[in-house]
Amino acid sequence: MMNEQRREFIRKAGFGVLAGLGVAAGIVPGYSLEKTVLPAWDEKPVAGKIRWGMLIDTRKCKEGCQQCVAVCHHEHNVPDFGNRKDEVKWIWKSPYEKVFPTATQQFKSKELSERSCLALCNHCAESPCTRACPTEATFKRWDGIVAMDYHRCIGCRFCMAACPYGSRSFNWQDPRTAIKEASTSYPTREQGVVEKCNFCSDRLVKGLQPACVETCPEHALTFGDLNDPKSDIRMLLETNTTMQRKPELGTKPSVFYII
Amino acid sequence: MMKIKKQSVIFGGLILVLFAIGAFFLHQESHAGNPMPAPPLKTVAIDSTKCIAPTEYMRANHMRVLNEWRNSSVREGNRIHLAPNGSKFQKSLNTCLGCHGSNRLFCFNCHMYANVKPKCWNCHLSPMETP
Repeated sequence: MMNEQRREFIRKAGFGVLAGLGVAAGIVPGYSLEKTVLPAWDEKPVAGKIRWGMLIDTRKCKEGCQQCVAVCHHEHNVPDFGNRKDEVKWIWKSPYEKVFPTATQQFKSKELSERSCLALCNHCAESPCTRACPTEATFKRWDGIVAMDYHRCIGCRFCMAACPYGSRSFNWQDPRTAIKEASTSYPTREQGVVEKCNFCSDRLVKGLQPACVETCPEHALTFGDLNDPKSDIRMLLETNTTMQRKPELGTKPSVFYII
Repeated sequence: MMKIKKQSVIFGGLILVLFAIGAFFLHQESHAGNPMPAPPLKTVAIDSTKCIAPTEYMRANHMRVLNEWRNSSVREGNRIHLAPNGSKFQKSLNTCLGCHGSNRLFCFNCHMYANVKPKCWNCHLSPMETP
């Protein structure tokens, strides 16, 4: 009697397993196993997936060449007032000891002490400017770019005080009066806002490389995703000794240099 | 007699189980064979051939639409506007001006009449300034 019950139980359990397998195999439609269509998800980019970075080979960068600076400043309608006080800059060249003031300066080669290095916003992973901004006008984007939302900037210049690299400029005057050849590819700014390099986010969205990278005649600049181990920039970082500006501050810059 | 019946039940069940397992793996295989769906496009081409919403709605709400576009595209990177009829537009002033810019006074006429002074053209190029 006992035996019969057990046999009955095993038989029923067996049919249960079969039914379960059937569901899993798709013979019986199981709605709990419905497939998810990826493109139907939100089209917002995923934060942290990409971290854009740049590698500047200062050995290749030619002395006196200002092509990347000119192209960038033209493309983004950066004004040129012609004096230091009102100067607005996104990318510029400075002597080695100005770009790397905390790197060793003793017994440098003559060539190195005369070399000028390209400087731009470092798009730090731990950006001090975005912490200082009271209106979140400058913010860390989903792809590692430290972006400016000029619509929100109130011109308090806290970010300029916070940036240890001097990458930010203030529009003391109406910049439109100081743009010689206006470009239609990017808007201008207005008086009373801070501006800086945007890593060409306007070009990235079109699938283009940043203007400075594209224009460099010596191919001294490499742009890519630091989170992708197979990207060109990561390959170069793997095979070269590189430097960041003021790494001791812990800002984790995304711009690297080969000296 | 009883024994044969039992055996047929056992073997029948076994065949069923094997079939189910086979079907399961076949199904898995067909899934693995499919390439991963392409990642969703972050941009769409600027299409200014049709309006994103009816004229009546845009007349009253264009500033809300523009504010929404500005915030979601600049801050979240969500650059695609999905119209209720399913068509997609790039969230850009250029999408509007690609068509409306042909009338250089399109924005100004109404704003002057209503005496509103939006700050768009402090930075963005207005249809008056574009060549």
